Amino acid sequence: MQRILILLSVILLLSSPACAAVKVVATLPWIGSLAKEIGGDKVDVTTLVKVSQDPHSIEAKPSMIAATRRADILMYNGLDLEIGYLPILMESARNPVINPGNPGNFNCSAYVTALEIPTSTGRENGDVHPLGNPHYHLSPANMKKIAVGMGERLGKADPVHAGFYRGNAARFSTQVDRKMKEWQGSRLKGKQFVSQHRFFEYLAAEFGFSIVGYLEDKPGIPPGSAHVQSLIAGMVKQKPHAILSTSYHDQKPARFVSSKTGVRTVTVPHDVGAGGSRDWFWLMDAVIASLE
Amino acid sequence: MRTSILAALLGAALMPFSAMADDLDLRLKKLDSEVSRQAETIINQQKAIEELKDSLKNRPAAEPALTVDSSSKTSGFFGGSLMNNPYISVILDAKGYVSNLKNGQLAGRGVPGYTTEGTGLRNGFNVDAAELLIFAPVDPYFNLYTNIPVTDSGAFLEEAYVVTTGLPAGLQVKGGRFKSNASRLNSQHPHAWAFAELPLAYRSFLGPEALGGDNGVQLTWLPSLPFYSLLGFEVLQGANPLLFGDDDNLGPHAFSAYARASFDTSDDSSLYLSPWVMFGSTRTTGILPADDVTGNSFDLRGNSALYGIEALWKWKSGRQKLTLQGEYLYLVQNGELSEIDAAGSSVKLEALKRHQDGAYLQAVYHLDRFGIGARYDRMEIFSDTFERSGANQSFGGKPWRVSAMTEYHFTEFSRVRAQFNHDRSDRDGRVNNEGILQFTFTIGAHGAHAF
Ligand SMILES: [Zn+2]
Repeated sequence: MQRILILLSVILLLSSPACAAVKVVATLPWIGSLAKEIGGDKVDVTTLVKVSQDPHSIEAKPSMIAATRRADILMYNGLDLEIGYLPILMESARNPVINPGNPGNFNCSAYVTALEIPTSTGRENGDVHPLGNPHYHLSPANMKKIAVGMGERLGKADPVHAGFYRGNAARFSTQVDRKMKEWQGSRLKGKQFVSQHRFFEYLAAEFGFSIVGYLEDKPGIPPGSAHVQSLIAGMVKQKPHAILSTSYHDQKPARFVSSKTGVRTVTVPHDVGAGGSRDWFWLMDAVIASLE
Repeated sequence: MRTSILAALLGAALMPFSAMADDLDLRLKKLDSEVSRQAETIINQQKAIEELKDSLKNRPAAEPALTVDSSSKTSGFFGGSLMNNPYISVILDAKGYVSNLKNGQLAGRGVPGYTTEGTGLRNGFNVDAAELLIFAPVDPYFNLYTNIPVTDSGAFLEEAYVVTTGLPAGLQVKGGRFKSNASRLNSQHPHAWAFAELPLAYRSFLGPEALGGDNGVQLTWLPSLPFYSLLGFEVLQGANPLLFGDDDNLGPHAFSAYARASFDTSDDSSLYLSPWVMFGSTRTTGILPADDVTGNSFDLRGNSALYGIEALWKWKSGRQKLTLQGEYLYLVQNGELSEIDAAGSSVKLEALKRHQDGAYLQAVYHLDRFGIGARYDRMEIFSDTFERSGANQSFGGKPWRVSAMTEYHFTEFSRVRAQFNHDRSDRDGRVNNEGILQFTFTIGAHGAHAF
């Protein structure tokens, strides 16, 4: 009996995370990138979604379940962006630590003031997000809050290095403030754009430009021809600066509207990894450069 | 250091115990000292943690302006902010159907040597079901799911089960009435099928709805490994009328065991493999039709084991998706076949032995909202044993079917599908060339789809 106990305790010791890195599973590339920034070499980050994939149409894969099963912290965007795969991952992973309400469940949107919370959520309006626009990651103000929250949470999971995480989060915030001065020098203020998808609202609010029309009349639904015609008519009069699209979208509608109006299309890098970006600052530099 | 312990453990597990008792003693002594050394390290670490905690308490809180209370915000988990309410969705599945056969011919068109049941489709309009799905977390320990299809014959409880969410070590228990997860296809709801109906092998061995909802308990284990693997075991009442059947003597008399594994073959693709078995005692009248001359029916009592192995490869990149899928099923059934006359008494008893198999292969390709697919079904590839009193029965040519479909998703919530089947499942009987136009609509909560 004693031997069995010893064997058991050895097995438990072997599987205990006493001196292992904190295993972070992040859904989107920018979340994984931020976790690496705050966690440094004390975390081991797995990112589920690739930058080439449309974050709205991800399907759960068994390999994602295997990763989530071993996670100490699951970090996700929230505001229903991961609704198509995250609930099934959480149930399939059998990892109580990452269930909602537990410390291993880190919802980035909890630190964000959501824009565009709809008053009507009927699907006759398309695939609307009832909790608000989920694309808040191009907002420096929100990123600062998320970084601080993430630092605190990593500190809870790994108290030995709590100071390290807090320090990195503070450094990140300072760097955002510094870069913000540079970004605010950009010539975006007052500019008008047309966008394929409601992807740049937070950025527009913070940088003082406006999105005057959308290729997608209703989110997630291809534009009807009547909508496109009225959009073209409006654009000819208003002469917006550019049509904004992202690489995972079908470029045809944007190119069509561009050919009818003479307004150029810009494929904006939408997440870390796009446009050669290696981290969030790099991404923001690339986004702002592409909008200018 | 840990590697050596692991190696010792592995060695201990792999060598026969009797031959290494002394050796084991020695190793255990070593392990013992290792354990106490490790324990010491941990105690020291704990001390360090406590010291750190104390020093943190005495420090002023960092940047209070930026610390946000997250507790009051909604999580967005499970499709909405209304965490306390159950999520409800309704799925309507309607079909238009044309066939060269008349409705009367379709109703009695089984697969000879397997099942006497037809597909249930009739020329014209068919509303298969409006499926009512209700699900919600019960508390931090359980999720509850119910699935109530409403059909022509009324509403019934197809599924109502709880799933544990808080068990340790990758364990999960499911209990209640549910569709067995032994085979992936068996657990899918009809609206999730890649074609309008299940493969021919499923219909032949299990019926048009596969095993269907059955009462029972399931235990699954997801080990913590770098790749996906799952082991499952189920005890079921055995209600399926073709493979198991209600039994007047036994309680639960159907069981299943299955294993699953999956690897990513690239960033965009993954391979899934799963062997499975469903086995138990059988009592059915659904295999053979009543005798043409005497009108006598046939009642089987025996034991069955249905083995399957599935392979699936999925590639999804940008706006395109390709799924290649195949499965092989093999039935072993032994029992006594009794011939029952009109008065209900057994007039003849003979031994029945079946070793039959079947398989399907399918490919489905999607570009954005548009999809095309093809499937080939065939029975009796390697084995066609159907022996009555030791004599093999011949039912004629081997059953097969070929299908082609194209579909369009207006959104994630509505789909129209056109499918054509060239169906030779009636062996030497008449060919069924059938066309199916299927409409599927979903309202309500966003149900995530399994792989
Ligand atoms: Zn979106």
